[in-house]
Amino acid sequence: MASIASPRRGRRAKRLTATAAGVTLAASTLAACGTSNAATVATLNFYSFNDPSGAVQTAVTNCSKHSGGKYTISYNKLPAAADDQRLQMARRLAAADPSMDILGLDVTWAPEFAQAGWILPWTGANEQAAKAGTLAVPLQTATWKNQLYAVPYNSNTQLLWYRDDLVKTPPKTWDEMIADAQALAKEGKPHLIEIQGAQYEGVTVWFNTLISSAGGSILTPDGSKASLGAPAVKSLEIMKKLATSGSADPSLPVQMEDQNRLAMEAGTAAFELNYPFVYPSMKADDPALFKHFKWALYPAVNAGQPARVTIGGINLAVSKYSPNPSLAFRAALCLRDRENQLNAAVEGGLPPTLESLYSDPALFTDYPFHAEILAALQAASVRPKTPAYQTVSIVISHHVSPPADIDPVGTEQAMVAEINDALASKGVIP
Amino acid sequence: MATTTRQKSGWITANLVTSLLVLIPVLWIFSLSFKAPSTITDPTFFPKKWTWSNYSGIFNSSEFTRPLLNSIGIGLIATFISVVLASLAAYAVARLNFPGKSALIGLSLLIAMFPLISLATPLFNIERTLGIFNTWIGLIIPYIAFGLPLGIYTLSAFFREIPWELEKAAKMDGATPFQAFVRVIAPLAAPGMVTTAILVFLFCWNEFLLAITLTSTVAARTAPAALAFFTGSSQFAVPTGSISAAAVVITIPIIVFVLLFQRRIVAGLTSGAVKG
Amino acid sequence: MSAQDARKGQEPVTGDTQVVTAEPAQAKPRHRRRLSEGARAERRLGWTLCAPAVLVMMAVAAFPILYAVWLSLQRYDLRFPQQAHFIGLTNYGAVLTSQYWWHALVVTLIITVISVAIEFVLGMLLAILMFRTPFFRGTMRTMILIPYGIVTVAAAYGWQYAWTPSTGYLSALFGNSAPLTKTVAAIAIIILAEVWKTTPFMALLLMAGLSLVPEDLLKAAKMDGASAWQRFVRVTLPLMKPAILVALLFRTLDAFRIFDNIYILTAGGNGTYSVSVLGYDNLFRALNLGIGSAISILIFICVAIIAFIYIKFFGAAAPGAEG
Repeated sequence: MASIASPRRGRRAKRLTATAAGVTLAASTLAACGTSNAATVATLNFYSFNDPSGAVQTAVTNCSKHSGGKYTISYNKLPAAADDQRLQMARRLAAADPSMDILGLDVTWAPEFAQAGWILPWTGANEQAAKAGTLAVPLQTATWKNQLYAVPYNSNTQLLWYRDDLVKTPPKTWDEMIADAQALAKEGKPHLIEIQGAQYEGVTVWFNTLISSAGGSILTPDGSKASLGAPAVKSLEIMKKLATSGSADPSLPVQMEDQNRLAMEAGTAAFELNYPFVYPSMKADDPALFKHFKWALYPAVNAGQPARVTIGGINLAVSKYSPNPSLAFRAALCLRDRENQLNAAVEGGLPPTLESLYSDPALFTDYPFHAEILAALQAASVRPKTPAYQTVSIVISHHVSPPADIDPVGTEQAMVAEINDALASKGVIP
Repeated sequence: MATTTRQKSGWITANLVTSLLVLIPVLWIFSLSFKAPSTITDPTFFPKKWTWSNYSGIFNSSEFTRPLLNSIGIGLIATFISVVLASLAAYAVARLNFPGKSALIGLSLLIAMFPLISLATPLFNIERTLGIFNTWIGLIIPYIAFGLPLGIYTLSAFFREIPWELEKAAKMDGATPFQAFVRVIAPLAAPGMVTTAILVFLFCWNEFLLAITLTSTVAARTAPAALAFFTGSSQFAVPTGSISAAAVVITIPIIVFVLLFQRRIVAGLTSGAVKG
Repeated sequence: MSAQDARKGQEPVTGDTQVVTAEPAQAKPRHRRRLSEGARAERRLGWTLCAPAVLVMMAVAAFPILYAVWLSLQRYDLRFPQQAHFIGLTNYGAVLTSQYWWHALVVTLIITVISVAIEFVLGMLLAILMFRTPFFRGTMRTMILIPYGIVTVAAAYGWQYAWTPSTGYLSALFGNSAPLTKTVAAIAIIILAEVWKTTPFMALLLMAGLSLVPEDLLKAAKMDGASAWQRFVRVTLPLMKPAILVALLFRTLDAFRIFDNIYILTAGGNGTYSVSVLGYDNLFRALNLGIGSAISILIFICVAIIAFIYIKFFGAAAPGAEG
């Protein structure tokens, strides 16, 4: 379906941009017809995560093909770890490197890169095109000081995955889930709850989801100081309760998303809080267990108050040092257009950021949980928006992991002090 | 004659225990690299289902094969130059008296002891300015520089063990110090140089931080750095199988290397000792 | 030193002086000129031989090191270079008053002392094995060299997987436990990984020392009725002292800067971070070049102190020290 639809859609996109670009395109088309077009084709360097599904490569090829000979995109893969990706880009941008045009940024980086003046703001027609039909929460992650600095490429969010041979109705709250797990343990059945507890970004995501679900936030709305307070204490209590309830995985303090997936596939767990990538993986690795592998919305902190799950994903930004910024904006829009997002969702399992795609039947076969994902994204929460996000996150992850060592009130107080230090970029980070 | 059965069995036990301690962790990586993705969660030592897919996966794209080539090329060139330069300096350090010697030793100690992490960013800026970022040269030059302290230290130790009476004799016969070095000492020092070359090559083969800082594409990226670019079936999946397979692949040349040169290493080491 | 003196008993004059005293038989008036000519030639040769090495090392390392020193005196954030300004020793104050620095230093020292001590004992045993085993000597030597050759990052992944519950055989062996989550156990595993990887290097250097021990001396001691242990302690060890000190010095300096193993095994989580990991996080995650460079310089100072102690108090041979 997608592959047949793709070229048609691409051609239409080309036609649209052609009308918009008017004279420039005509001029370059003439030039292209007159001589070899090699001289006028700009090469745009796209730096992004190494996509194993091939969907990004397909988008790059499609967009280059349909650029009307204006540009070809070169896909430069970044290391697998987010920290390494950010470091590579930051180092090159700090050195005013002109060989980067389009940057694939994690959803938490836009404020930092914008504040440093490394990425260009989106204005006028580009801004309108970027916002049209895009989900609101992903757009928030790309906005800094009321200015759009990137266009959401894909999104991501967690669901509750459970085994319906063990649990008939999925738990609605954390308390219910822990009680269910303890009941299963008494019966001697697989009962573990799988979540990211290692000292890294993932545990910050967990904490952010809890505090947002409890009605609080990590920072004050203007991002100038720590907020935390009672919702934070409540969240810390839940984390501690899980870690000491006997229903958490024994290796909780080193677990990341993939260890959670593996534990679930190994059959020792009953619940898993994780991204949708676990679904195709279970299907391929353990067809027997897959029959009982079901999903539900993330459990709430307080009954009747739906969870606000932390959003993930990639935003595309244009480097300030790009020699061809206007082409780069256009190419970025092309990379995340409807066809390419659909392909990324189907091939790579990446949740789209265009709302209308969630009602596209092409998505349904490989994405049976599309309705839950959309619901989660619409209610999603954003991680603290501050240029100092990395340090804030490191402080949080060091205080909430290992979760068993949390002392809810004391940990909250210590975090307030250290987050305020981190925002002022003072002191040594752990 | 004096080797009793007890001694024999003692040595054999020692050999066996050592072999097990050395080999088990290596075999574990081998075994992981042959485990099918669905059985990676099975903590048995040996795979229940064997598969080549991890290997075919990494060899099917230039994302790993090209870095492998880079590692070999960069390692060999850097090692060669580094050992030649280190031999010259080590000879001077071990044998000659000249002002600035302690400054040279100080400089090489400084480099050997300075934390590499703080040099990565300035080196990146310099290489970008010079246009050698992401090239073989861009890695070879720092590898020579960081191989030199190791080379000078090891070789000057070797050179001090060489029977210098021969050099004296050559000088008596009218040879200049340089001739004495090239004709008499260098052949004696060759085994030591081989040993040093092996140490320097292993350093280059192993190096990770500069490799990932000073490269951006497979044009110059080395194999250890390429490990950081492996991805699992999705963004979050850890590529355990691919990493293990690649670890095995980058270990094989080392084993071959050691097999080929083991005698040279030992010869190099023992020739340092002047008998009697 | 004592080893060399003992061994070179018939040739006590070594090093530079030897070159000068090699020609004492000349007539007096010419003696002075010839000497200075020789000295001048020697000086020129010395410089010529060292020049290429010095040039490369200066080109690659001198500027970055000076740059790091300069950065450590600045408030410098990679993201906001225009806000950089000189703040003297403030960064050092911030680091030295931070509990994280002292925690990292303690962790680093624990890892260094324990792993070097274990490596020394095991390395000595391996060296003896490689040197003396009557069976499969070549094979054993080859095998022992393998861990040394393995890429640290690759070996570290192996250990990490081995200790991960439901993936690793070692974790399964210990009741599917997750030792990497506990500070003490995680540090023990870091030490295990470090020891496994670097003991062969220690053994290699010690074997070089073993080969310096003249067989005749050992035979003579045996004739005198010394037991194997006595021969080892009284003859072999003293003669090996220079090799031992070099091996210990190298390994201590290396272990103090431990990074790769921790980075892969725990990423410094649960209080297992070393000073290098702390420096890395401040430089490359916080992008705080000022604080990060100050940590680097402090690491360097620690390393220099360690080297100084070895050389001054134990008499390890610095390269170029007169034999």
